[in-house]
Amino acid sequence: MPLYGTLDITQNAKALPTLANLDTEAWTLPKAEMLQLLIEVPRSTTDGLLPKAMHPALPSYVILAVTKYSESPVGPFNLAVLRLGSRAGAHPRGFLLGAIASTEAAAKELRGRWGIPVEAGEVKFLCRHDRVMGTVSRGGKTILDCALIDPQPVAGTDVQYINWVTAANAPLDGQTQPMLIQVDPKYTFYKAERGKPQVNAFDAAAWNAGAITLADPIVGTCCTVDTDLPRIRFVMDPLKPVFQGTRRIRESRADE
Amino acid sequence: MKFGLFYEISIPRPWTPEKERTVYNNCLEQVKLADELGFDHVWAVEHHFLEEYSHCSAPELFLTACAVLTKNIQVGHGIVVCVPEFNHPIKIAERTATLDILSGGRLHVGTGRSATWTELGGFRANPDTTKKSWDEFVRCLPKMWMQETFSYQGEFWSMPERTILPKPYQKPHPPMWVAVTSPGTEIDAADRGLGSLGLSFAGFDEQEKKIKEYRRRIKSCEPVGAFVNEQVATTNFLFCHEDEKTGVEMGKRLGNTFNYLATQLISTREVFSSPSYQSLGLLPALRRAATGPDANEQQTEGMAYGDPARIIRAVKKWESLGVDCINFILNANEVVPQDQVMASLRLFAKEVMPVFAKGSAAKVAAE
Repeated sequence: MPLYGTLDITQNAKALPTLANLDTEAWTLPKAEMLQLLIEVPRSTTDGLLPKAMHPALPSYVILAVTKYSESPVGPFNLAVLRLGSRAGAHPRGFLLGAIASTEAAAKELRGRWGIPVEAGEVKFLCRHDRVMGTVSRGGKTILDCALIDPQPVAGTDVQYINWVTAANAPLDGQTQPMLIQVDPKYTFYKAERGKPQVNAFDAAAWNAGAITLADPIVGTCCTVDTDLPRIRFVMDPLKPVFQGTRRIRESRADE
Repeated sequence: MKFGLFYEISIPRPWTPEKERTVYNNCLEQVKLADELGFDHVWAVEHHFLEEYSHCSAPELFLTACAVLTKNIQVGHGIVVCVPEFNHPIKIAERTATLDILSGGRLHVGTGRSATWTELGGFRANPDTTKKSWDEFVRCLPKMWMQETFSYQGEFWSMPERTILPKPYQKPHPPMWVAVTSPGTEIDAADRGLGSLGLSFAGFDEQEKKIKEYRRRIKSCEPVGAFVNEQVATTNFLFCHEDEKTGVEMGKRLGNTFNYLATQLISTREVFSSPSYQSLGLLPALRRAATGPDANEQQTEGMAYGDPARIIRAVKKWESLGVDCINFILNANEVVPQDQVMASLRLFAKEVMPVFAKGSAAKVAAE
């Protein structure tokens, strides 16, 4: 059967974000501008980064995303995330390895509501006609400098964003425990562009990404979307295969 | 109704040399038996890099072995990836002609363009252009087979005038098909006079719509070859057992395993935003079905597993929708022991096939 991840998140539970409860209210995030770069990475460098419950994507790839949220319940902020392509059971997912938010308030809320392993830092999103750029720094050090080169218009229907999985501690059955949380935003596209990914600087350690090295660029997109960070619907046992260890927390959204 | 075998050649980890050889040998043993039992076709896919799901990257070699071991069963090269980074069209014409000769004119040629990033990215092929390159290839192939000399200047490939040798044994050329997974490909098949090689496991309603549209459009087609190959084939799982419960349980295990492996594939659309891959092909249906490798939920309707009576009912339904041929997947990751695969084939041939044999007493009685 398919390979499984080898990471036991329960061994380092103290390092995970902690949620006060699983009743997070949804955030509406209109007209977000999302730069997303997909890049293949050597399989050997992803060893140990994926929870035991999940299957690795083959070939291994990561998703680098820098997003400008002009409106949110905590005001405007930029967010950069690194996700590892994977499978939760039969479904494609991006497992969140690391994230940087441009405001302390956003970082605190994203950690506490959805278990996103986010720290505060400097996140810039710059849009030009010949390229869209994202840069991230912490403590004066650049940890990501990336761009989408030569953006060309595509239809929003051509773009597929896969759902996220985070690892966090949260109360369940009367006990706060490590678990995997599905974060499944919805998107309404206003504009979509596609181009070549370029990464000038990437500090894997700063993204909790072990020894990951970026190898073969797949594609880059930049889209303007209405999106959300939804209520939590599914959590997963981090040590059991997802198809055996998934718990539904609440029903699907009314429009699904 | 015709019946065929359909091989992805799925091999579970760990991959020892003996395991890969055993699975290939198992497949050949099945094909030999199927030939003796009167099955019509054996198809083999072309897939690359798809771990466990398909180790069938050189189907022309496997099919050559099939042809040499058998007398009557027709060999389906299905599908040849018609993308220049995968296969040069001259080589496709040469290989298929050779296989047609070696099989004594038993070759069918399926065409397609690949659906996974794992494969397209592996060959550094551009997903945006695979539909166009497929279109060029399928228009060139019949000419390369039939014309004494051939030259070509196209968008994806070109060649000066040469004689492409050998020529196929069948005249004017082998029947041509296209793999139909994405919505709309059945129209591509019909418009070009190609057989519709259905590779999805969609339910009756969806298949019926596709077949009706195919039959309607092919009436006014401009065939790419010398003749119209109006045929609709679909894919199914086969496990036939005297006891219905045993048959259904093993059939579900086979289907669940196959579906779960298939859902691990990285569809092109998942990672590469392209107007050429707007659909996820067969994956949405598989993901709905594949809750896990040991799932026990109801699978897609019309599956050919259970006892002969149950399978006859399913096949009759497909026949009533206009399906001409059902190609069966017999195993996935070797979850069905080889002796049970062989017994299933024998029972199917004994109890089910006669009901669908043209002019047979069993068919007349059943009608």
